[in-house]
Amino acid sequence: MDIQSVATLFGTFAILMVLGVPIAFAIGLAALATFLLFMSFDQSVFIVAQQVASGLDSFTLLAIPFFILAGNIMNRGGIALRLIEFAKVLGGRLPGALAHCNVIANMMFGSISGSAVASAAAVGGVMAPLQKKEGYDPAFSTAVNVASCPTGLLIPPSATFIVYSLITNGTSVAALFVAGYVPGILMGLSLMFVAGVIAKRRGYPIAPRASWAEVAEKALNAALPLGLIVIVMGGIVGGVFTATEASAVAVIYTLFLALIWYREITWRQLPGIILESAVTTSIVLLMIGCSIAMSKAMAFADIPYSISDSLLALSENPLVLLLIINIALLAVGTFMDMTPALLIFTPIFLPVVSDLGMDPVHFGVMMTFNLCIGICTPPVGSALFVGCSVGDVKIGQVIRPLLPFYAVLVCLLLVVTYVPELSLFLPQLLLGYQ
Amino acid sequence: MHHTTMVVNGVLRVVIIAAFAVLVACVTWQVFSRYVLGTPSTVTDEMARFLFIWVALLGGAYTLGQRRHLAIDLLSSTSTGLRKRVVDLLIITAIAGFAGVVMIYGGLDLVARTLKTGQVSPALRLPMGYVYIAIPFAGSAMLYYCVIFLIDLLRTGRGPTEQLGPTAPGGPLD
Amino acid sequence: KTLRLNHNNPEDHPLHKSMEFMAERVEELTNGDLKIRIFANAQLGTQRESMELMQNGALDMARSNASELEAFEESYGALNLPYIFTSADHYFDVLSSDVGDDILAASADKGFIGLTYYIEGARSFYANKEIHSPADLQGLKIRVQPSPSAIRMVELLGGNPTPIAWGELYSALQQGVVDGAENNPMALTSARHGEVSKVYSNDGHTMIPSVVMISTQSWEGLSADEQAALRTAAKDSMVFHRTQWDSMVAEAIEQAKSELGVKFIEVEKGPFIEAVLPMHEEAAANSQKVADLIDRIKAMAN
Ligand code: NA
Ligand code: NA
Repeated sequence: MDIQSVATLFGTFAILMVLGVPIAFAIGLAALATFLLFMSFDQSVFIVAQQVASGLDSFTLLAIPFFILAGNIMNRGGIALRLIEFAKVLGGRLPGALAHCNVIANMMFGSISGSAVASAAAVGGVMAPLQKKEGYDPAFSTAVNVASCPTGLLIPPSATFIVYSLITNGTSVAALFVAGYVPGILMGLSLMFVAGVIAKRRGYPIAPRASWAEVAEKALNAALPLGLIVIVMGGIVGGVFTATEASAVAVIYTLFLALIWYREITWRQLPGIILESAVTTSIVLLMIGCSIAMSKAMAFADIPYSISDSLLALSENPLVLLLIINIALLAVGTFMDMTPALLIFTPIFLPVVSDLGMDPVHFGVMMTFNLCIGICTPPVGSALFVGCSVGDVKIGQVIRPLLPFYAVLVCLLLVVTYVPELSLFLPQLLLGYQ
Repeated sequence: MHHTTMVVNGVLRVVIIAAFAVLVACVTWQVFSRYVLGTPSTVTDEMARFLFIWVALLGGAYTLGQRRHLAIDLLSSTSTGLRKRVVDLLIITAIAGFAGVVMIYGGLDLVARTLKTGQVSPALRLPMGYVYIAIPFAGSAMLYYCVIFLIDLLRTGRGPTEQLGPTAPGGPLD
Repeated sequence: KTLRLNHNNPEDHPLHKSMEFMAERVEELTNGDLKIRIFANAQLGTQRESMELMQNGALDMARSNASELEAFEESYGALNLPYIFTSADHYFDVLSSDVGDDILAASADKGFIGLTYYIEGARSFYANKEIHSPADLQGLKIRVQPSPSAIRMVELLGGNPTPIAWGELYSALQQGVVDGAENNPMALTSARHGEVSKVYSNDGHTMIPSVVMISTQSWEGLSADEQAALRTAAKDSMVFHRTQWDSMVAEAIEQAKSELGVKFIEVEKGPFIEAVLPMHEEAAANSQKVADLIDRIKAMAN
């Protein structure tokens, strides 16, 4: 292995990141330092500048600002409340009704907004006081909220999968979206199972049975927001439009809901919402542009192949290698957010798993699932931070109640890793994916 | 200085919001032209992709000005006194280095070369150099914000990644 | 010395194998002094990015095709015109003649030099319906490469040109986002389009070659011997590629017929040629350089 280029790339990145340089710039400068080993100064800055802009030249990537904008429009309104009311009906007869309601609401809201953090804030913000009133331990209810908020990153539509598609040279977004359903829903169900067991032991209450009229009313209220998923996923699977076009249609649909139907936002607020979405988007996009430059630098220096070779030297058993990769990613996830981790480690691990004959869609699901756990773990975990802040508990308090949830998530991660059908069955059935 | 910053922010804001709105219109038109008009548009795809590069890079500059790029500020937020000043100064230097050297110097080289060879985009026949101008343009705005950061640091001791309002935790896609 | 060559095909693609052949040949000719390291799957960038990188020497070599290259050097436009070649032999003869060499050399002042062509066969329409004449294309949404000549051609033939990214094409065909596409028969098997489009109408409208290029800067950094060895290796691989390609296309057609049930139909080309002929005049009117090339290419037909 070429130690010098590996050390330059990761050394520069690590130093700058620890120093506190914004991650996008740290990635870009690490790429530049690596290129300087191979070419002149002028050529190095040329290639990095080119990649930062050209790396963004993708029609697929356009879906990200659109889904973020649609999510932001949705977040303004009382949509979380409508979904929570509906979720209460669905989870009400189980022990620890409100905990189940929290998980189900996260699955629905996260699916629409595509953001674990937004979901943890919106759903947790409403649920935490309710749970406290019914005598739930705040640390427990916060743990439930934290662990379940990333389900929306797996349940489509999901900007995470769009980023993955881009860095893997165009893995089908439609296939990735459809592949996320089963693992995402299983993630929610397994958390509900653990929450139910704990709630039963602690004697947390069951909600009174809802009347049919109530159920119908709440379902109807939730129908319009959930209609977004039907339009987007129905449109993609039914072949009406591509994922990017679906995201633009999602914007139009949410604008209609928020501006005209519910009248929850006004035209005057719209530029502000657009600007906020552009800011959120550009945080991701600058990071993506710089990461594309970094992945080119890695390719120049043959880094993915070097790492692939050394991993294959450790073991040739696919089961063992996938375990090693998962452990490495879980370690990365403890201190890194989803997007940079995905951007930096996908090009490194993809050649290894491709050698093992793993499907790129399956790997995308595995990697996303893995990093979903990462955003719930200390010391750096965005879902953990937001969940604790809306639940008004200290991070230290919530770690213990989180342990059983971590355990079930890691078990499920292994199932997702070693049972490809879990991810690939639906895309094969619905899209003829091979 | 304060006035100039308001102008820079304002210009970026107007361009970003307008370009974003046109983006949505472009892609919606693409669906509409295919299904309702039956004659798919052949230019919206390329137009949207190029506008998107502009939104992303100018948005990246504006976001820097708002001190909202994702960073791990453990070192800076736990340091005090001289050590904090040095850390903040190094951060500003790194950002300014990237903006000045890669985005302005490298970006201008890229623009000059693509304009000189007359390379055009496949569908719109637009000189690619125009698309790439976004790089040095955004780089200049970033460099400007770095100067502001430096002045703020020297005057008030405020670091380049310290937001005024409550910080939004987590990555944008988390 | 090692040259880096970037292209966007997978490693099992015939184009990759031909480039490997060239790399082995040049190593042999220079007794191992000059090597070529091939990066498949666009690892170092897209075709457009590769072109820009070659212009300042950050990348030594790249493979692209005449359709993409038209944006950098207008001469390639002559090769992209529909029905400019009358047969596979005419096509190969032009590419190996001084006409082909002149086009390869034309871009030296733009930062890159063409070394050789790899034929990619004739492109035809495929869809779930038989296309016997331009009338059958009327109102069909046909996926095209995002190039003005491809768009213009489909328009003249009465179809609705729809630019769709290559990676999205399979699902677009399957789900009816587009009704058809156009490519050589390899696309039916290697990209599995034969699973979703069951009729290949052999109208053979264009024959667009791939081109292997070297950065002018890298070229000037080579000794005269190395330059000669590289030219020889490149030309040798052109011949190697043709044999390889022809047998692989025959194999692909056989496989598409037997395994995927694709129907191949022969087409009366007359009405197609007539419909797109204005493109030849338009191209000639736009540029004297292209007009001369068109005349020379046509003069070689027999
Ligand atoms: Na989602
Ligand atoms: Na973490």
